[in-house]
Amino acid sequence: MSTSSVGATDQLATPPVGPAPIVGEIKHGRWGDVWRAISRNRKAVVGVLLMLVFFVLAIFPGQIAPYDPAATIFPPALGVSWHHLLGTTAYGQDIFSQVVWGTRLSLVIALAAGALATVLAVLVGVSAAYLGGVTDGVLSLITDVILVIPIFPLVIVIAAYSKSSGLGTLVIVLGALGWSYGARQLRSQTLSLRTREFLEAARVRGERPIYVILFEILPTMTSLIVASFLGAALYAVLTAAGLQFIGLGDPNSQSWGTMLYWAENNEALGAGMPLWAIAPGVCVALLGASFALLNYAFDEISSPALRVRRLERKRLRPVPELQPEHTPFEPGEQSQDVVLRVQDLSVAYATETAPVVAVDRVSFDLGNQEFLAIVGESGCGKSTLLYAIARLLGAPMAGEIIGGRVLFQGSDLVLLKDEELRPLRWRNLSVVMQSAMNALNPVLTVAEQMRDACEAHSDMSKAEIEARSREVLRLVSIDPVHLHSYPHQLSGGMRQRAMIAMALLFTPDLVIMDEPTSALDVVAQRSLMVQIKELQEQLGFAVIFVTHDMSLVSHFSDRLLVMYAGQIAELSPTEQLFTRPLHPYSRGLLDAFPSIHGEKVRLEGIPGSPPDLHHPPAGCRFAARCPLVQDRCIETEVPLVAVNGSLVRCLRHGELAK
Amino acid sequence: MTEELLRTEGLTRYFRVGKLTRKRTLHAVDDVGFSIGRGEIVALVGESGSGKSTIARLLALLYRPTRGEIWFEGKPITRLKSRNAKLAYSGNVPMVFQDPYSSINPAYRVSHGILRGIKLHRPELSRRQQYAELDRVLDTVGLVPARDTRRRFPYELSGGQRQRVGFAQALAFRPKLIIADEPVSMLDVSIRAGVLNLMAELRAQEGVSFLYITHDVASARYLADRVLVMYAGHLVEQGPAEDVLQQPKHPYTQLLVSAVPDPRAELRLADARDVGEPPKVIDPKPGCRFRQRCPLAIARCETETPQLRELGDGRRVACHVAE
Repeated sequence: MSTSSVGATDQLATPPVGPAPIVGEIKHGRWGDVWRAISRNRKAVVGVLLMLVFFVLAIFPGQIAPYDPAATIFPPALGVSWHHLLGTTAYGQDIFSQVVWGTRLSLVIALAAGALATVLAVLVGVSAAYLGGVTDGVLSLITDVILVIPIFPLVIVIAAYSKSSGLGTLVIVLGALGWSYGARQLRSQTLSLRTREFLEAARVRGERPIYVILFEILPTMTSLIVASFLGAALYAVLTAAGLQFIGLGDPNSQSWGTMLYWAENNEALGAGMPLWAIAPGVCVALLGASFALLNYAFDEISSPALRVRRLERKRLRPVPELQPEHTPFEPGEQSQDVVLRVQDLSVAYATETAPVVAVDRVSFDLGNQEFLAIVGESGCGKSTLLYAIARLLGAPMAGEIIGGRVLFQGSDLVLLKDEELRPLRWRNLSVVMQSAMNALNPVLTVAEQMRDACEAHSDMSKAEIEARSREVLRLVSIDPVHLHSYPHQLSGGMRQRAMIAMALLFTPDLVIMDEPTSALDVVAQRSLMVQIKELQEQLGFAVIFVTHDMSLVSHFSDRLLVMYAGQIAELSPTEQLFTRPLHPYSRGLLDAFPSIHGEKVRLEGIPGSPPDLHHPPAGCRFAARCPLVQDRCIETEVPLVAVNGSLVRCLRHGELAK
Repeated sequence: MTEELLRTEGLTRYFRVGKLTRKRTLHAVDDVGFSIGRGEIVALVGESGSGKSTIARLLALLYRPTRGEIWFEGKPITRLKSRNAKLAYSGNVPMVFQDPYSSINPAYRVSHGILRGIKLHRPELSRRQQYAELDRVLDTVGLVPARDTRRRFPYELSGGQRQRVGFAQALAFRPKLIIADEPVSMLDVSIRAGVLNLMAELRAQEGVSFLYITHDVASARYLADRVLVMYAGHLVEQGPAEDVLQQPKHPYTQLLVSAVPDPRAELRLADARDVGEPPKVIDPKPGCRFRQRCPLAIARCETETPQLRELGDGRRVACHVAE
């Protein structure tokens, strides 16, 4: 998982952690949230307003309509006038009054059929998923069958055969056939909830199953249930109007569908009474549209993915002005022994309000064959930085590089187009992702995935590819018989090794690794670290290794880059950082985890939590959690300074070193 | 050990795996016996798939054991039938889960789970007393001011705070033993110590026992009085935490302890060669489950499953060779 991207947005909203008092007051409840979300969403606003109009018409038709809709007391086929806003029908009825009175039935059918369909969808969907087994099989089969039946012809048949053509029948038929789509969605949502620990927690607490379903599962699906209701209601509006139009249902009832039926029978359009047909038609369309708009708006409000897509369309501007940092090395040509130079690299994420700078002017040089570890906690920007260097930002990491350079083999990766990047990727610069289970394609064997990579990035022959694949597997101590295994047939450790083997197909100059061992147990973790180090020495590539666990890399990395709140806090040789850390945050991290050997001391961790990057503090970003904080730390931005081969961003670094 | 609170005997849980035609059995937990004393913190350590979480779920009655018995305060609890008896037990033995982002219902305020727990397990309390108790447990776990915290939704809290809510929920039951299944593994390094210290304080102030389940051997040493080591469904070693982790007897415990990354110690490459991972125990034959990876394996290990035997000073080890 890309911890940083998730973390970056997650932690922004969190108040301070730990025993420290939770300061600040509650600004809004959940209804407040819902209300704010609706008022910000244009689709929702229009949908709600339309719906309000229809509700008023349906509740107070007697007050709004000037005449009895059924009374045939006026001259037929009158045009538009002040007395008859929409004219009169061929029978001398007031069209406006008919439209107003027709609202009630159309709305009642929509709401009642929508409610019935939703209740059925919840019952079927949730119980199928929660009970599982045979129940699930049977219910899912029924759902699927109803989904594939062409509903409209079926409804016509049922409605024609049912003797009583009243309102009740119509609602029941529409409800009974409209639930299947919602049931499918609710089932899959419940299935994904079933593994959530809060349901286990409720069972451990001693709750009965019925309580778990009604009060633990259903409330978490409110938005889905609402969406399911709106969808079913929309379907009911359209279908009911269609049925009434073709004469099913009671033709003497007051509804838009029956108006259309009579208008059609009297050839209203040709006979100079176009509004007789147009007015109810427009009403059906508008009511349908308001359900659809609300449905779509709810989807958008409850699904962050859609919201992000909306944000992406906005420009990522204005971004905060970033003055170039004091760069710790001479600007100019890339020197011979530096494989990668990162200069003032900054990355921002679009959010609902202002852009958030997740990586803030990071600069470092990576030497040939150097092993650089980037450590930091979730949300510190370490994965974002890595993705920016590898030019892998974009969905789902919807960040954007807003400044800086990444110099690699004579070119600035930030400026390269995708097709210019392709020859560099894999051959010269390869990436090992965090979760091998997700990064490997589950339906292809290891050999096939290696062949894909080779064919995309070279013109090797089949035999050469096969030979090279065997060779790299042997490099990572995997028996080449596993070449034809699927990822799920390998153990976790082997999958991670296979990932590394794939990254080494072309002996790149730089391998970027994002927590490649974090899914492994300690024993497998250590053996993989040893292997990476050996391969590095043998093949001579440089490594950038991102991890949250600094003890893991203590014996392997040459230098450690400690990130905090998007910035470099400290960059030091590994051994020095472990023995004489310069930054209080590095010190805090070192003292945060217990030792397996040595004296047992009480640990305190670091109180508080990282700052909200929506509003980064003016001074040192660590100040709020720092034991050494002084007034001057809070006042101005703290620069990154060079101290004996290290870089540190702390005004009091000299004191800590003593 | 202090007075015994909970004891398991031959605790075993199998899972059916595979297709209908070829049914096979996964031995998740096999013949495990241990005990937890009143006010004691016992750590259960092992790699993923070793059966630790299955034991947690057996103790929490989420799973029924295939064989074996759990005794709580001298009474067997796996065959409890009545709802009241089950409620009484689950009130005594609550569980705190691993993932603070999925263990609290996002649809409710923080107070929901705590109040439900109080209503279920302490129905004698009046409404006013329930809220007083709600504030007390939130105070106890450091979520102050409680009157503010209880109105918050989970998404407003950080991971560390959510995990404290988990402990507050458990405390509301007036528990005697809290099962904590990897409670810090998903938290950031800088806030783990706070949650570990919280458990130590709850033991000191409220006298609660803990079964602390973890793959992090160093944190087990930090927190626990005694350590149980699992490998592939078997309990392979147990004893006082400091003894077991400083002088491990079982070859697996030795491997595990040596693999813990420790910047304060030299890297020992000698045993870094082991690339093996714990086997999936499907339809096992007798014999030691560690033997393929074991540097000390002898012929007897192939045929005979080693049983835990006493080595003195409260230490027990399941190995034919270890002295």
